[in-house]
Amino acid sequence: MFKKILQSLSRSQTVKTETPKQVPVKTSGQATQRTGGVLNPFAKLAATAARPQTPEELCQITAKMSKDQIQAQLKLLYRRYNRSASSLDSNIRHEADQMLTAIVTVREKIFGEI
Amino acid sequence: MAEYVGIDLGTTLSGLAYLKPDGNPEIVPNSDGERLTPSVVFFEAHEDVKLVGSAARDGGEPDRTVFQIKRYMDDPEYLVEIDGKKWTPAEISALILAKLKRDCSKIIGEIKEVVITVPANFNELARKSTIAAAEMADLKVKRLVNEPTAAAVYYAHSQGVQGRILVYDLGGGTLDVTILHVEGDNIRILTSEGARHLGGSNFDEMLLEAYAEQYHQQTGAKLYTDERHRRRVLQTTEDAKKMLSKLQRVNDTVANDKNDGIARIDLTRESFEKLIRQMLTRTVMLVEQALDSAKLKTSEIDHVVLVGGSTRIPKVKTVLEKLFGKTPKSCGNVDECVALGAALFAKRSARIQEVCNASYGTVAMVYNARTGEEKLMNSVVIPKNTPIPCSRTQIYQTSEDNERVIEVDITQGEDEDAKFVDIIGRITLEVPPNRPKGCEIAVTFSYDENQRVRALVVDKLSGRSREVAVSYKGAGVLTEEDLKRKSAHLRTMRIE
Repeated sequence: MFKKILQSLSRSQTVKTETPKQVPVKTSGQATQRTGGVLNPFAKLAATAARPQTPEELCQITAKMSKDQIQAQLKLLYRRYNRSASSLDSNIRHEADQMLTAIVTVREKIFGEI
Repeated sequence: MAEYVGIDLGTTLSGLAYLKPDGNPEIVPNSDGERLTPSVVFFEAHEDVKLVGSAARDGGEPDRTVFQIKRYMDDPEYLVEIDGKKWTPAEISALILAKLKRDCSKIIGEIKEVVITVPANFNELARKSTIAAAEMADLKVKRLVNEPTAAAVYYAHSQGVQGRILVYDLGGGTLDVTILHVEGDNIRILTSEGARHLGGSNFDEMLLEAYAEQYHQQTGAKLYTDERHRRRVLQTTEDAKKMLSKLQRVNDTVANDKNDGIARIDLTRESFEKLIRQMLTRTVMLVEQALDSAKLKTSEIDHVVLVGGSTRIPKVKTVLEKLFGKTPKSCGNVDECVALGAALFAKRSARIQEVCNASYGTVAMVYNARTGEEKLMNSVVIPKNTPIPCSRTQIYQTSEDNERVIEVDITQGEDEDAKFVDIIGRITLEVPPNRPKGCEIAVTFSYDENQRVRALVVDKLSGRSREVAVSYKGAGVLTEEDLKRKSAHLRTMRIE
């Protein structure tokens, strides 16, 4: 029933990944953030897409949704962004942290604090 | 010679255990007499020596001290520069392992082969870096094992329990939740879920902010302006956090290093719990995710086991008790049980069935013939939680006529949306010319016991194939050549 066609996303990324990049170096015992060096073609898109303002908007929670629907949506988002928090892409990691905060805020607002 | 040795290479503390002849594991103290060694390295300026452990942590020179390097084991570009020399996270970890090996072998004899524990959510790169660190420290890695698995092995051994166990491992830097099934001497992992950068050190940082705020309110000045003083206050906040696990209220005095006066800090357990509440909610969501992954309800869990220093926080126990309707049990000494379990695992690994910790696949345009829908997505070949070792194959088709080079991206992550997975490598395969689109390509992923991945691409028409182990590139990733050179160099270093 399913036909799966290979997509060579990496081919379109060749130019990006071969661009010389500056390597950040931690000096004086401090942490530095990694930049670039990932193959994920969506990274920039994800980081720069327009963002709604409230935690509910970020989580795409609407007034019409039932509690079960909200719970399912929050679970899906938590799984997605908790995974993204371990991404090799620092932009995605940053976005994931913001989303996780929004997810928890919505959960506490709707289902109460732990 | 110690035959079965386990090492917990932790974010804040590391420990080594071995299996005694009576079959029980025991922690081996370091040469400073401590059962656990702080995972801190200090690069001395005047003598050519690397201090590891308490002496390094208490040295007071943050510019030359490396803390929590484990948090960066999965970062391909992360480097530490000291005196113009760049160190990768694997090299720093190797210094910690070298200290453990040297100190403990004086007590239990030569240590050659070890089991090393890693967080369940450690990705492929972090696992590879851990093996590289061991190699540099002249240790052969028999197996990597997930920390909650090791803790559960110890818990099952020491308590003699059976049934479904949920391990909640809240350490210094990460949270892992693992569900496993114990039947006789056999242990089957059902799922492991992890959260990066969610642990005790996050709570310390939150307390640090609270201290800084109170200090500013009382004196109008900043509590710290440099890393050295920030580290000192951070140590104070860690002590306060520990006290709040035993007391309802802690009073403290702090000062900055600019003579701006002393502030009296007043902290209650309630205010601390409020401070970390959102973090704890995240941990509950991870527990729920693990239950969903294993298709289990809270009532189907027989034992909830606490591991990691941060589970001493009373609110953690309260929250889990409320969720499961049963009192969570502490895994003995929550700081030591991972190393103890690793030593047990070294002997019993054949009886422990682990699972794949992440999904692996490729990017494909998927057509649904029934609905006519098409979607560019992450096409999973090996799903998360597949028992390991394992190998899976999926058949794909080429997308263009006369396609001469087939490119297969290797993805890590279970999300259908390719935006939310990592592309950790690619395989290119040259194929003969003048072929129409739609030729079949078999993509096989294999996953070994150390959670390392290999990918094989076969062009079914021509029989041409290519197999690769996933490799990473970045300033913080060592090549095989680097590894050999640095291993030799590390063995000449003075490590205390």
